[in-house]
Amino acid sequence: MDDDSREFERFARPHAAAALRLARALVRNEADAQDVLQDSFLRAFRHFRGFSGESPRAWILSIVRNVSFTLWRKQQRDEPADVEPLLEGEPDTTPSPEGRLLEACDASQVHDALDRLPRLHREVLVLREMEECSYREIADVLGVPIGTVMSRLSRARAQLLRELVGEPRSKN
Amino acid sequence: MEHFDEHPRGALHAYLDGELSLEGSLAVEEHLTACGACRRQLETLRALRRLLQSARPAASEAESALLRVTRRVRVRRRRALAVGGIAMAAAAALVAMVLVPRSDRTVREVAAVHARALDAGRSVDLASSDPAAVERWLAARLPESIPPVGSGDGFALRGARVDSLDGRPVATVVYQVRNHLVDVFAWPSAEKDMEPRPSVAGRFTVCRWAHRGVAYWMVSDAGTEDLKALAALIKERRT
Repeated sequence: MDDDSREFERFARPHAAAALRLARALVRNEADAQDVLQDSFLRAFRHFRGFSGESPRAWILSIVRNVSFTLWRKQQRDEPADVEPLLEGEPDTTPSPEGRLLEACDASQVHDALDRLPRLHREVLVLREMEECSYREIADVLGVPIGTVMSRLSRARAQLLRELVGEPRSKN
Repeated sequence: MEHFDEHPRGALHAYLDGELSLEGSLAVEEHLTACGACRRQLETLRALRRLLQSARPAASEAESALLRVTRRVRVRRRRALAVGGIAMAAAAALVAMVLVPRSDRTVREVAAVHARALDAGRSVDLASSDPAAVERWLAARLPESIPPVGSGDGFALRGARVDSLDGRPVATVVYQVRNHLVDVFAWPSAEKDMEPRPSVAGRFTVCRWAHRGVAYWMVSDAGTEDLKALAALIKERRT
């Protein structure tokens, strides 16, 4: 009767680290992230027999996101609002040393910059750049159309760039 | 082939992410040969990606968290099995209680019905927190139904389905307490009032009781105290 728990270990193990990284991106501190992770594994365990989708990873990550949701709401008071800032203006068309500036950044600067982003931007960057999820998987995790994933991702990248290397585009 | 007169901003991201069709990729590459601004933009986005990947934190403790969860599930099950064993032994000693084997079988059936609904991701066929709507829905499907009790005391009414118990259709009202779903099966019955008696079946708690001409089975992965509290709520509202 222990077999299903072993089977679940094999099912979830390849995605455990991704689950924790997403939890960390979504909640405030390490203790909350660990709670979210544990609760997510329990929920996933209860239901994984019914799983019939394509990507176990997207499924587990969507559970992590749902479990984080209750904590989100508690923490919303002291968080930057989850709005998607519009990209106004044209992209930079003058040569810029952004690439070189980025090379000079270290991991702690990256994490600080990520922390300053709205959560919707942070999570899409973590899913794409750190977990290398496809657009389809990200759409499944977030429960939004692929078009939304694309526009959110390009805004998130632009905003992270601004956080890391300052205003990247010329102002008129 | 698609041709970009303007800077293909959105397509540049999709190109970077390997999400374009062959055609789309060729169109972007054609544009890139002619446009320095987009080449620099792509270079910047690639540098950003390298930076994010190099900052990707290790999360090796996630695996141990997973193993803790599954180990706890196994320990809890073994314990439940042991407790079940003691209960069975006690039951065997009281041979006169002929009803025990039957009720034990029903406990397992009730737990199995609940597990099946959870696994199928179909706990309710009607999702509603309105007791009147749930009652109407059930009344249209069953010859005799019991008006459900609305949300209260931390229990939220989630809806209803018709499930099958002991070979007959039975009204199944679903509540949620914290993260746990509770199935409440109820049907009219002539038996006399009976206090809730929780028992454990695998990872579920099952609870049988009767009150004022209604027989109830409740099942959930919530604790016994939760099931008793829900029974108390139902009793209170139906007096």
